[in-house]
Amino acid sequence: MAVSIDDLDLDRLAAKERKLGAGSSLKFVFAVFIGAIWIVPFYYLIVSIFKTTEQYSLNHPLSLPTGVAPFLTNAIDAWVTAKMGAGLLNSTLYGLVGAGLAVFFAAMASYGLSRIDFKRKNFWFMLIFAGTVFPFQMYLIPLFFGYQKAGIINTQFGMLLVYTAICIPFPTLVLKNYMNGLSREMDEAARMDGAREFTVFWRIVLPNCKGPITATFLLQFTWIWNDLLFSTVLANRTETRSIMNALQVFQGSYSSTGPNVVLTATIIATVPSVLLFFLLRRHFMEGMRISSL
Amino acid sequence: MPAGRALRRAGTQSQFERDQALLERIGWSRIEANEKRRLRRNFWVAFGFMAPAVALVSGLLLAPVVYNIYLSFTKWKRFKGLDEFAGAANYERLSTHRLFGDALYNTSLWVVASIIFPLAIGFGLAIFLRGVVLENTFKSVIFLPRILAPTAVGVIWFYVYAPDGVINRLLSLVAGGKVDIGFLYEENTVTPAIIATFVWQTVGLVMVLILLGLAAIPKDPLEAARIDGATRWQVFRSIVMPLLLPTILVVTILSVLSGFTVFDLLWIMGAANPELRTLSLAVFMYFEAFQKGSWAYGSAIAVIIGVVVLSVTWIQALLQHRVEKMTK
Repeated sequence: MAVSIDDLDLDRLAAKERKLGAGSSLKFVFAVFIGAIWIVPFYYLIVSIFKTTEQYSLNHPLSLPTGVAPFLTNAIDAWVTAKMGAGLLNSTLYGLVGAGLAVFFAAMASYGLSRIDFKRKNFWFMLIFAGTVFPFQMYLIPLFFGYQKAGIINTQFGMLLVYTAICIPFPTLVLKNYMNGLSREMDEAARMDGAREFTVFWRIVLPNCKGPITATFLLQFTWIWNDLLFSTVLANRTETRSIMNALQVFQGSYSSTGPNVVLTATIIATVPSVLLFFLLRRHFMEGMRISSL
Repeated sequence: MPAGRALRRAGTQSQFERDQALLERIGWSRIEANEKRRLRRNFWVAFGFMAPAVALVSGLLLAPVVYNIYLSFTKWKRFKGLDEFAGAANYERLSTHRLFGDALYNTSLWVVASIIFPLAIGFGLAIFLRGVVLENTFKSVIFLPRILAPTAVGVIWFYVYAPDGVINRLLSLVAGGKVDIGFLYEENTVTPAIIATFVWQTVGLVMVLILLGLAAIPKDPLEAARIDGATRWQVFRSIVMPLLLPTILVVTILSVLSGFTVFDLLWIMGAANPELRTLSLAVFMYFEAFQKGSWAYGSAIAVIIGVVVLSVTWIQALLQHRVEKMTK
């Protein structure tokens, strides 16, 4: 490779550096401007929850609050009027049990599909996977009718049923692929020693799948926590609705309460899943990565 | 096998017969039967493992889809119940419905916007933020909304867009006078405003996926091309783009599907709009079925949504197949 004489011209190099420096600080200013588009709504959210309704309506929406005390009043107001306690409890139940059962059933199905020899495996896999193909809108009306007939509309059981079903296909895809990659030697050894099929699944294969199980569980838990549609259609009652449904109803029908209180309710509804995200960030990123493959 | 052919020509047993005899001697039929029995027994063991998943998915997801398709061809009688076959009447009535046309128009806006904006902005950000001071901080900030629920994002932006909200105040500051645009109240601003919020929330993930795609591109060919005198644009067009194509495809399909069926954001942010039901097909379907009680009509809209989603998925599969062939 020939060395260009220009590159050795120190003055030129210095000028180039200067130009680069100016360019990068200009770039930085522009980046700050872009960052502001993302940060300002969050800033607005944070300052608003520390204002009383009066302070909120009189001051600039981006002005700093005078103290932190109003947050407590807002939170109590939101908690009581929006009945957030019930919503949080329901969503925790739906998220933990729904996603837990779904991932467990998906792991069982994946075990059958990946470690046992039988004919027409592909058919059975496609049957389960078909559950991700259709838009949710196609489920709503039949589920509503069916639930009414079966008497499980507006019940926690009904909600758990539909959430579990919806959360099964995707983890099945992930776990099946993962289990295909695990060595079969351990299974065979255990079977030789007389272990039953379920023991092989429970004691040998499942403990080896902790990573993808955590990732898919978190993904499905967050999906259930964030769901508004199914709760609106199938469980639109205070006792059974999810937290996002409670938030939507609160924002829709109590808008006279003042944005500061509704925004406080938003914080309360979001904090659990956001905390979970930051605590288990690595698993979440892993889940998002596999979900786009 | 020359030896076999020679034997057959000599008029002795044919190859097939000799094979049969051999199989007989080692008891092949028994082995085969055993194998069949083993596979059958295995199937029932495997089925035991698959049963809960299969039952839940087919009972609560697949059966409803079939029933929904059936419903869309029936007529709903308010007091007699359903089940009067009506042919394509629901679809015919839909095609002349003014509000349906509006909903369809807005939905197509969503589709076009969710093809262009997340990708263009995500790509632009991924490239622009490279080498900027505090690069990772900026990336995290842009990713942040992704971890919030769409409902929460909708509530926040509902107030950001409000008549006396952040955006109107900032616009007033720039314009010098008082600006008061009812972004979510006017027919021609409401859809762009909600699309902007959608892009605001989803573009972070798109950016991260594109960065992952870029990181996976080997550095050697890039350097070789640069040394051979290729311009930056040539390198980008002829090396980076083709290698990034699979990522771009996935990202586009993800955005289109989520943009096409978006409900939460519209339901929250469009609540103040008198024409809420025309904001998209998903909302229109909810209105017809669950607020007006036109079940058959609603199920016909659901079928239309399903057909579009399935076609997009199908196109994705085709394209992915071609891209895979190209890169191999």
